[in-house]
Amino acid sequence: MTDTPSEAMERLVGVARDPRAYIGRWRAGHPGGAVLAILPMNFPRELAHAAGALPVIVQDDQEPITEGRALLAEFYCGYTRNLADQVATGRFDVYDAVFSADHCIQLIGATEIARTLRPDTTVFLGMLNSSMNDSWAPAKVTETMAEIQAEIERFTGNPVGREELGRSIEAYNRDRRLIRQLLDTRSAGEAALSPVQLQDIIVSSMVMDPVEHHALLLEALAGLHGTERDDRVRVHLSGHLCHAPRRELLEVIEDSGAIVVDDDLYHGKRYLSTDVAEEGDPIAALAGWYARRNVTIPCPTRVQQDADWDTYLLDAVRHSGAEAVIHLVPKFCEPHMLYYPELRKALDAADIPQLQLETEHEGMPLESFRTRIEALVERTLRRRPVHV
Amino acid sequence: MLGSIEKPVEDKSNRLGMTRVGGQMIADYWEDLFTARERGKQIVWYNGGALNPMFQAAGLAWCHGEAFAARLAAQRLEGPAQLAGAEYGYNAELCSYSRTHLGCSVLTLQGTEGDQTGVVGVHDQEVLAAKLPAPDFFVNNYAGCSTGQQWDGISYRVFGKQLPIFNISHPFLWGNKPDSGYLRGAEWEQASQFVASQLRELIGFLEHQTGRPFDYDALSESMTYIKRAAELRREGLDLCKAKPAPATFWDWIASVAPINFLPGSQALVDYFADVRDEIQGRIDHGVSAVKDEKYRLYFDGIMNWNKLGYLSRKFAEHGVAVLAGRYIQNAFWQEPHLIDTSDPILGMAQHYLLCPTNHGVKTLEHLALRDCEDYDLDGLVFHSTRTCRAFTGPQRLLAKAAQDKLGLPSIFFEGDVADASFYKDGILESRLVAMLEAIDVRRERGALPDGFSAFA
Ligand code: SF4
Ligand code: SF4
Repeated sequence: MTDTPSEAMERLVGVARDPRAYIGRWRAGHPGGAVLAILPMNFPRELAHAAGALPVIVQDDQEPITEGRALLAEFYCGYTRNLADQVATGRFDVYDAVFSADHCIQLIGATEIARTLRPDTTVFLGMLNSSMNDSWAPAKVTETMAEIQAEIERFTGNPVGREELGRSIEAYNRDRRLIRQLLDTRSAGEAALSPVQLQDIIVSSMVMDPVEHHALLLEALAGLHGTERDDRVRVHLSGHLCHAPRRELLEVIEDSGAIVVDDDLYHGKRYLSTDVAEEGDPIAALAGWYARRNVTIPCPTRVQQDADWDTYLLDAVRHSGAEAVIHLVPKFCEPHMLYYPELRKALDAADIPQLQLETEHEGMPLESFRTRIEALVERTLRRRPVHV
Repeated sequence: MLGSIEKPVEDKSNRLGMTRVGGQMIADYWEDLFTARERGKQIVWYNGGALNPMFQAAGLAWCHGEAFAARLAAQRLEGPAQLAGAEYGYNAELCSYSRTHLGCSVLTLQGTEGDQTGVVGVHDQEVLAAKLPAPDFFVNNYAGCSTGQQWDGISYRVFGKQLPIFNISHPFLWGNKPDSGYLRGAEWEQASQFVASQLRELIGFLEHQTGRPFDYDALSESMTYIKRAAELRREGLDLCKAKPAPATFWDWIASVAPINFLPGSQALVDYFADVRDEIQGRIDHGVSAVKDEKYRLYFDGIMNWNKLGYLSRKFAEHGVAVLAGRYIQNAFWQEPHLIDTSDPILGMAQHYLLCPTNHGVKTLEHLALRDCEDYDLDGLVFHSTRTCRAFTGPQRLLAKAAQDKLGLPSIFFEGDVADASFYKDGILESRLVAMLEAIDVRRERGALPDGFSAFA
């Protein structure tokens, strides 16, 4: 950001980097309110918010994995091992319950750790049907959404009224729209915020109450001036389905002569891609949101014959004018490893330079990444038309 | 040296003679599949639960993806397929079943370009991997492991999104409701009905693909044979509780393929009757599966197909009879009483849900500890199956439960389903020896009197 960071921006950054402190403040202001640990990627936080709870998407907290090692195998993705470690070392104790609605087997493994180590805590797993083309999928997903609602009502003791749910949906939509605008501005050519700052904004939105977040973000953006994009190589960041890429890595990318113009990261466009319909039955609207998310930005953890991540990526690259793609593959993330060759094939066919970086929870070889990114930048620059 | 593999000094294992008969049945099955297209059969590729009775009734030839990858690995022929997969871009940390099978897809496609015979891999004709006939369509039936489902979604793409695909969704049996438990509770009932309704939809899909009405009588007939074979298998498994054990886990591993994908037929029933009879005969004549059986262990993890014979000899060398495991006692039509042969759909759905990767830890713990007690086991060995997150996820918790609740020690060793490079022999050897010594020490100290807990 070219402008001096405002106090509001600093507060957003603070929440992103220390969610536990925010949770403490929220508790103080909401005596008796429940704080729920939400696991990625598709849980309808609106339902929990409407029940008066604070649904916090649990972040990979960047602490080295210690006790978690004895709970999940080392070949689980860094995010799930970190979750296990958070549970084992008491860092999960800030949450009153765990809610998940997904089906990645590694995430289920981590959820099991939470359930076993904290037998007195509610640990809910609601599997959203991940086979999207079946004729029975809409009914099944709607049924699961209703189940989630019932479970949240049971846990919080608060019924989720239609009006409250409508208000929560609106609040999350408003906040998503605002952040999406920032990302769209970035793709359109104004890079007012660095990738790290955008990530901080998104992480804080995953943690905070959406009304509060929206107000704070508006304040942070007031007076912020866009800057014209420079002539660094425009890249699209692809991948990281559940956790945020390390800030240092984002910095290395931009320091190596690249500028991030677009992404499909969970801590990026993927998280914000889709709004929930504000009309009609809200439970059906949440089911529709789940289905549309996978069309707006297809996810390799879903099975949908007519939605392709590779096609999406090509379209996105054309739209943003990205000159190269960097795949950020968290080590051991199976859906990503399975899909990666399809992405590579599509980009190769379209003659778009690409680079795959395998990331780890800790011990990332940043300097070797730098060399490889610089090589990608060089390669891409050579393709630019030469003006004599 | 870690990783070096030496042959046991003396082979103390005494494998069932019937496993050779099973081996021939399996070899015949694959040979038959390789020529199925020439015989005018449509071919379905599928993954996960044993849908073969459905395909049999629909008049199809079927290829089970994991089974083919496992077979390649067991015959040490997985190399070309895995190389093709690696060249295509699959990372070595990806489930080795999926990357072997996807490698086969790549080879199959290379071989079928411009011709529809379905017999593939001109340049690799000698290699089994390349003989796999291309599919006419896919069916996915993977419970528990999300990778299984995604793998077929990718196969569909590798084949250019041309071929139809049918996917069955299985709810994970999380077991959180107060009434939840093994084979009971609302969650179980609802999931059973949900999967059964999808199986009925699958029948419509098969009718559409084959252009023929589905033969329900043929399904009943096939399931009648399978149910009987499964009952005999259970009887044989129960006989193995005898001391010394007349047959081991490794013998049952050799019988996985017949129960998991061979056609339901009298031959299948005869095979399992003969297996049971051979075991009974051993008991009658005091013949043991492991010479000088000294220890009885549980084996958790998906099979390391590269090392089946080796592991059976290795454990026997130490006087260990491996007798039970999640992959044997708790898989493969293990609850035959659930099948109503006159209308088998619901019972089939329930078996698919009973995949040992589809239960929460509470149920797995119940099953594993039950088997440890039933077979009077001394400890557990966990095959930390490198590229299978589904099986390995709950292992640490299971080890802890066995220690805390039964006082049973356990060890972990690394290996993989279909990638030999992950197996470290030195680690297994040293940990196994250490555990057996610990068991000796405990035995010398004597058992606790009844009513005392093993742990303070
Ligand atoms: S989708 Fe990938 S990153 Fe997310 S939990 Fe699963 S393996 Fe980990
Ligand atoms: S990871 Fe394991 S359970 Fe999943 S598809 Fe592979 S072998 Fe099967």
